[in-house]
This record gives sequence, structure tokens and C-alpha cells, in this order.
Amino acid sequence: MDQFDKMRSPDESQAIVEINLAIISAEALLKTSHWFSRDFVCEIRTRNEHIVDVLLTPRSATSASELELARQSFISSAMDFALREKIEAKTSGIRDLLLAKAFSESGVLEDQPEGLFGDRVEEAKPDGMFKILSNPRH
Amino acid sequence: MARVFHPLERFAPAPTAFHLLPFRFTRLDGKELLVNEAGEYIFVPNGTVENLANEQVDTNSELYQDLRAKHFVYDDCSSPLLDILATKVRTKFDHISGGTKLHIFVVTLRCEHSCDYCQVSRQTASRGEFDMSTSTADRAISMMMDSPARDITLEIQGGEPLLAFDVIQYIIPRAKTVALQRGKNLDIVVCSNLACVTDDILKYFRDEGVKVSTSLDGPAFLHNKNRPRPGHNSYEKAIEGIERSRAILGIENVAALMTTTAASLDHVIEIVDEYVRREFHSIFLRPISPYGFALKTRHRTGYEMGRFLEFYRKGLAHVLKVNRSGYRIAEVYTQILLTKILTPHGSRYVDMQSPAGEAWNVLVYNYDGDVYASDESRMLAETNDRTFRLGNVHKDTRRTIFTHEPALRMFQTSCNQALAGCSDCAFQSYCAADPVYHYATQGDMYGYRATSGFCSRNMQVIRHLFSIIAEDDRETMRILWSWITGQSVHGEVVECA
Repeated sequence: MDQFDKMRSPDESQAIVEINLAIISAEALLKTSHWFSRDFVCEIRTRNEHIVDVLLTPRSATSASELELARQSFISSAMDFALREKIEAKTSGIRDLLLAKAFSESGVLEDQPEGLFGDRVEEAKPDGMFKILSNPRH
Repeated sequence: MARVFHPLERFAPAPTAFHLLPFRFTRLDGKELLVNEAGEYIFVPNGTVENLANEQVDTNSELYQDLRAKHFVYDDCSSPLLDILATKVRTKFDHISGGTKLHIFVVTLRCEHSCDYCQVSRQTASRGEFDMSTSTADRAISMMMDSPARDITLEIQGGEPLLAFDVIQYIIPRAKTVALQRGKNLDIVVCSNLACVTDDILKYFRDEGVKVSTSLDGPAFLHNKNRPRPGHNSYEKAIEGIERSRAILGIENVAALMTTTAASLDHVIEIVDEYVRREFHSIFLRPISPYGFALKTRHRTGYEMGRFLEFYRKGLAHVLKVNRSGYRIAEVYTQILLTKILTPHGSRYVDMQSPAGEAWNVLVYNYDGDVYASDESRMLAETNDRTFRLGNVHKDTRRTIFTHEPALRMFQTSCNQALAGCSDCAFQSYCAADPVYHYATQGDMYGYRATSGFCSRNMQVIRHLFSIIAEDDRETMRILWSWITGQSVHGEVVECA
């Protein structure tokens, strides 16, 4: 599915990338623009509730082929940031658990993390090889 | 007769589903590079990350087994072994335990050299008012020993510290006495250009167990160009000083560091060869610091950084070639990064830490008692910018230094895990935050990674190292592992990741 259609640009020295916010979130779009803003002014224009256009204006002289490569690179980068969001959504809970485990045992935390922490696979086993840490108040 | 084993499923049935463990990724040389929270990595075919996100990886495949073994996935048949992964994460962050270990005493601002890149802090050799007083030295020693660290390194520098040798002679025995009283292990290093060193000074260092670190920027034409002094003989003085120091202190107690100026960039082969000729076994192809000289040329930073990367790649290739010819010499920047990439360990090098090493792992005590977060912070102060002045030994305690506004402001931008541009970066575990660098070059401690020379340099160097790792040339990997382990190049290569 190609949700990014190159649109007619008002200026041949600029490129427009159409973004479907159902596929690329605003956060992923901003992260992509963050990196591209070294070489381009990234102007984000809202077309409607679901679609935004990103106008890429090069900061220095750029050929048409370089501009097209940048447009393609912007799309690839935005897709990668969307993928990162997906990974993060699936792993943020266990990441918090992992870091809490790592640093609570190092003694650098003044307070024990709130709540009961555990690995659902191991916890399901009556003789699980480890129970992570449990808040003594629970 | 051939033996037949039962199929794997008899011992461990294939899992029906799997779960992801946290990781970041990037694309490199036509593959995807995944790195987990502990810095363990795996190269996988393009499309794997999307398949993982959609839970479409075949759990019977070799790829899946590799992902599971390296803590990227877990399933009903395996534990995520969070204890082990947490231990690896903690090991990676070991540099934040224990408190400040490196304490730099600037015993004088006097120097008889007039190097462009540190002229901001140079004072004429005869002006004694820029020497550290005994009362300041006493207070600085006390604050140094207040660090909870058990192993303390006292680095004495200047200016040229040997011009204030009487101050050094005052500090060393007192620091040793206090260290003994407080149960600390104390290492002492004097950083000197060695131009004024004498045998008496070296014998004193030998008797006190002091190591010497000096500067060697390359062959004579380059060293003398970088380090002007009366007589135009900085190189000759340095070489003579190195030889005398080695004779009295022992070769293992004399180290050399180079500074990469613009003049160095076209001469990396000659620089490496100079270190080999002088029988050094390590060389640090250090990037230029964005202070003094480089700050004046900051508008050309991108160009300079591009040239530094070319300098580094060419230099590393030459260092590897020298190793292949039989002479062991390690490139320290590579060694630091590969230790992070290939082993569970982090780095003691304060410029490559997150949380940033400034204050946590290094404190600088200026001749006048002011305390700074790093030597670069002190150099900024010499241009009347005291943003990173954390306090003064006569007015503050270690607690107030760490809890006052200057330090707290810096700490807020000290973790690359929480910085825009770094938080999603696959190289986060190997890289660092450097608020002082970003303040000096971009006017903002937080920094803007898209145009950051620090980010650009480390990203490209790390990508270069991963390209070398991906090539997996056996002899090259043996050499690189020998740098990490300090073992002979002929030792067995241990695959870690």
C-alpha cells in the first residue's frame, strides 16, 4: 500500500510528502522531521483529520534527483519510527520491569518500586526458577 | 555406526507464540541491526523487525532460536531470564556506582607553551598567583576523599604542573595520608609536557609511585606546529622527557596522548608511525575538543567532523595493518566502543558515559578552589562562562556541589535514554550524553542531535565498527579482541555477541 503520493509542489525546489496519520502517528512524524531538519525545513500542514502534508524545503541547493531521494528517505524513516512505536508499545512494560530489577538490586533506588513485579511465564509455575521482586507492602 | 538422535520436539516442543523483549534497531549494509537494553546485538535480514512486531517469525527457524538466545524474544518454553538480562544491564551501567573516581587538580595555570587550542587558560610562566595555595589543596584533597568511591585517581595537571612542583610535593604526601585514613586506594598521575622535567623530579615520582602522562601529537613537524614554545623544540623536549621518564619510572608508567588539530588531519599515518617508532602500545585518535581552537571554527564543525571521521577510518586501518605486521598497538577510541559493543561492560572513559561522566565520575579542582564538572567546563570558565562551575572547595561540600542548581541543571540532560534523537537510537547503549559539549557547540546543554558533531561522530564511528564486525575477518577480530582483553593476539577468539 502506498499511502504516500507525491503531490504537485508549488515550487520545484521543494518536495511534499503526504502522510496518513492512521499509519504514521504524529509522534513518529515529528521524530522523522527532527532528523530531516538538519538539511530541510520541514513544514507540516494539516489537510484534514487523517492526512497531513510535509513540505520539505532544502536548506542548500539540491537537485531534483536528490530531492526525490530525500522524499523516499523521509518515507522510509517515518515507517521505521512507526515500527519503533509498535515495538515500544509491546515492550515498554517489560522494559520498566527490567530496569526496575536492574537498579533496585544495585541499591541505588531509595524506595522499592511500587507494585508487584514478575514474569508471567515464571510466575505461572509453582516452582518457577525466579520470582522477581515484590513490594513488601503487598 | 551413525547414532540417531530423537528430534528436537521430543525434548522441547516448539512454542506456539512468543513475546518481545525491548530492543532498538537501525539499518546497516542491507541488514537490520537489533540492539537490546544490555547492548547485545544481532544482525538479521531486512523485514525481520516488522515480522517480530506482527509476531510472524517462525518459531522453528534458526533466526528465532538466535533471537531467543540473545534476549530479543521469549516464549512459553523459555523464561525471559530477566534476572540475567537485568544483571547485564546493571553491568553496563557500572560506571555510575561508587561515586566520583577521577579528580583533576589544576595546580597552576602557568605554562611555557603557547598552544592555540588551550591559550584561553595559559598564563606566563613566572606568575605565581596562578598556583594552587596550600589551603586550597587541603580543602580539595578533603573533598576528593569525601567521594564514596573506594578507588580514587588523582590527576595533577595545569597549565604545566611541573612549574609548580612545590605544590605537587605538598599535595602528594597529604593525599596519601588522607587516603590511608579513609581506606581509599589512590592512584596518582601527573600530566606534563615534560619540557621542564628533571631526574630529581622523576626520582621523586618513582619513589611516590606516580605515573606520567604526556603529550605527543606526532612527528616533529606536527608536534612543534601544534605546540609552540620558546626554542621551537617541544617535540625534542617531549621525546627526551619520555626517554628519561621511562628510564626512571619504567616504560609501563609513561603514557602519551595526542590532540588532533586541523594540522593533524592529513597526517594520521605519520602520527601512528611515530607512536610505533617510540614503542607505545596504544594510541588514542581523539576527536578535537570544541573549545579554544575548535570553538573559533565552530561554523565549520560539520566539515571538520567529516575530516575527523576520514582521519579516524584511515588511522584505524593503518593501526590494524601495523598489528597484522606483528607490532601490538591498540587504538583507544575503538577499544572503548568495542568494549561496550562486544562485552557486557561499559566504559570508565568519562566522555563516553550515560549518565554523563561530568561530576559523577570526574571533578576538576581549579587552582583557585573552584570546582568544575570537567576540564572542558574549566576551559569554558577561562572565557568567563561559569555555567559548569559547581562550587568552591572553601565554601561548599560534596553534598552542596551535587545538589545546587548548576549540577542539577546539567544532570537533567545527562542521560541519553531521555534525549530527543537518542531515546530511539540503536546505538544508545554504546554512546553517551555530553551536556558540556552541546552547551559549548550549540549553546544548549540538551543539544540538537541532528546537527550535533558529537552525535555525528559517534554514530558514524559505531556504524564503521559494526561494518567491521559484520565482515567478520578472523584476523581482524583477533586483533580487536586483543585490545579489549589485553591478551595476546594469538589467544583464542571468544565470540561474545
